[in-house]
Amino acid sequence: MQSDLTTIVQEIKDVASAIVKKDITTIKGFSQRQAKGLATQTLIIQKGVLNGEIDDDLKEFFYNGLRDMTRNFVNTLKGLLIVTIEKLINAIVNALWKFIDSV
Amino acid sequence: MVKVHFRSCFILSFILLLFVGCNASLAPEYDKAIVEKTIATSEATMGFLEKVAQGTKVEGFKTRENQYNQLIGAYDALNLQASARPVPKSVALDTINKLLQTKGSGSISGDYPSAYAFEKIAETLRKMKKTDREKGLGPTAVQAFKGQIAIYLDQAITYESFLKR
Repeated sequence: MQSDLTTIVQEIKDVASAIVKKDITTIKGFSQRQAKGLATQTLIIQKGVLNGEIDDDLKEFFYNGLRDMTRNFVNTLKGLLIVTIEKLINAIVNALWKFIDSV
Repeated sequence: MVKVHFRSCFILSFILLLFVGCNASLAPEYDKAIVEKTIATSEATMGFLEKVAQGTKVEGFKTRENQYNQLIGAYDALNLQASARPVPKSVALDTINKLLQTKGSGSISGDYPSAYAFEKIAETLRKMKKTDREKGLGPTAVQAFKGQIAIYLDQAITYESFLKR
């Protein structure tokens, strides 16, 4: 039986929505943890500088650490999104193939 | 209406032609061994950091040196394992890279965020070890080292677990 365009489009939307909904929850949780972690780390460094436990050498090390962690936070987000894109491509293509195979 | 149908059909045909006969692979394969080793090493790391949470004295460094070495070695090994996975090669990835380049964005490469995180954790532990050996560590400094390691661990574990699809 030949499928109609509305059914195919609806299937694509359903498949995509299910994946995006699930992955967004993980990505959102990760972003919140990272934001909190980076903010807390900034306060700890401040405290260490003030009480003298973090000298100039360590201050520079932790300052660079904040920069590198932030950069890798963004790269991790990019990596997670790439996995989501991959899942979307494969799920949609598989759904489309099912329509073709059903003929 | 006819125009919309034609456009939709064209897009669907394009996607099918692009990925026909293969599953798109844009990210490395999930590796259970890496995830398990990361979790085990992170537990050992957090246990060690808890033991030194009140700060350290230079005199006691020798008793901790071996633990530093073991943890640094474990993260170096994880970095090697994570980096060794091949960069996925597919028509889909090539197409996305070309699109990214035309939009002025960097292409998707094999620089895995987890491998970078492992490298940086090893670097953080090396710095902590050196400081401990030369000056000892105050509790706030230990907290700062722990915070840095925890943030990188979260990045590595989240990414590696997410690869299970």
